[in-house]
Amino acid sequence: MDSSNSPIIAIDGVFKYFGSFAALKDITLSVDQQEKVVICGPSGSGKSTLLRTINQLETINRGRLVVDGVEVSDPKVNINQVRMRVGMVFQNFNLFPHKTVLENLTLAPIKLKKIPRQEAERSAMPLLEKVGIREKASSYPGQLSGGQQQRVAIARALAMNPKIMLFDEPTSALDPEMIGEVLDVMRDLAHEGMTMIVVSHEMGFAREVADRIVFMDEGCVIETGSPEHFFKNPEHPRTKRFLSQIL
Amino acid sequence: MDHDNQQPGQSARHEESSRPPRFEVSDGAAIPDKSDKGLFTAWRISLFGALAIIVVLCLVKPDPYIDILTFVPDGVLVTFEVTILSILLSLIVGLITGLGRISKNPFLNLAASTYVEVVRGIPLLVQLFYIYYALGSFTQVPPFTAAIIAMTVCYGAYMGEIFRAGIASIDYGQTEAARSLGFSRRQTMFYVIIPQAMRTILPPVGNEFIALLKDTSLVSIIAVADLLRRGREFATATFAYFETFTMVALIYLLITLLLSKIVNIMENKMTPYGQQQ
Repeated sequence: MDSSNSPIIAIDGVFKYFGSFAALKDITLSVDQQEKVVICGPSGSGKSTLLRTINQLETINRGRLVVDGVEVSDPKVNINQVRMRVGMVFQNFNLFPHKTVLENLTLAPIKLKKIPRQEAERSAMPLLEKVGIREKASSYPGQLSGGQQQRVAIARALAMNPKIMLFDEPTSALDPEMIGEVLDVMRDLAHEGMTMIVVSHEMGFAREVADRIVFMDEGCVIETGSPEHFFKNPEHPRTKRFLSQIL
Repeated sequence: MDHDNQQPGQSARHEESSRPPRFEVSDGAAIPDKSDKGLFTAWRISLFGALAIIVVLCLVKPDPYIDILTFVPDGVLVTFEVTILSILLSLIVGLITGLGRISKNPFLNLAASTYVEVVRGIPLLVQLFYIYYALGSFTQVPPFTAAIIAMTVCYGAYMGEIFRAGIASIDYGQTEAARSLGFSRRQTMFYVIIPQAMRTILPPVGNEFIALLKDTSLVSIIAVADLLRRGREFATATFAYFETFTMVALIYLLITLLLSKIVNIMENKMTPYGQQQ
């Protein structure tokens, strides 16, 4: 299942309803290994919902969804196994406030992968180094700035050694001066070859890092293309309108 | 559907936002916090007043007040025994009930909700009678055991509601973060949610402790030799009803005033994580 030419994520004809409201309408999208996809669109367009269906934080009502060779839309699948291979970073960080930074990183490896504490801590430190907050290992999340918390959240997801990283508006809750430090970490991760799907309004980041940009509106994928295509020659009038508002 | 821009740590109870604000009035005790000047002063007046009255009474009229003071301490001990045993057991029952109340399993949920509903609808005194006398017609339960069972059943339901509220007060983002790492629902509950809920439920549990301590006076009716019972024994033997019950009331007052101060200290210790070192 892991051959590099089959997509690592295949979304096929997916619908999602909240009551009678269709949040996702017939979405088809596939993501290759090591690909970086940025999803953008106005708020309420369904982009976060789409991202959250990939690790089944939102279940789908129709269609097929295959992640890393597993059909996650099948209710018989052990979704926890899949989630261990799919890291997620949230807009509001959602660090565990009762755990130190280091414990935030080691909790899941210790409990889920049964890795001995010492070993888990030994592999966590380089990750903290990587996101630039090694010295905060024994602090609590509440003692960190938003940017620092989000970097810890990225390291926490990486501690499970995921194949795919999902980012749900990772910089939207940050003060402007902290956005850069988080994007830097994400950029490094992209250069290392991580498969990444990012919901974001950071068009500069999208232009620089994305292999492909997906534009969504009202629950549909309106347009997909390279950053080149997307920023220079958008085809759809809605894409043009969105870009004129945001750039 | 994009999610609201919530600040971390703030619990978003979206489903309650349209309702009028709720306020909590505890049946435990008024908690004397320094931020409420009037109450804090009242607490001090009550505490030192009660102490002063006890001392003055003993000095002015040693007989019977000194005798009462030497007769009832056994009862105070029993009162504490019943209180502590019941609170520990009701915490266990409460945790199970609270988890049942939020369970997705319809049977567990209904069972827990019905338990809470039934128990809260029956006065504690009636429950005590029921367990001691009504069930006593089938199997004899010793008074002390009956007292503990009744208090546990009753306060387990209250504790269940506290646990439920405590768990519900934890931001849903915590659950999502844990689930996204691969934790099951159960693991999420025990590793992430309950450890955080423990802190938020500490003050209400302290309050229930005080309420329970006061309610233990009811067990005197089924021949458990608690503080009130010992007072009654002394009073019927000496006919010093006024003196005895004055003293008993003052002792209850002293205990609850001291406990409410302890709860207040506990509440103030609830500083954010990492700031107590």
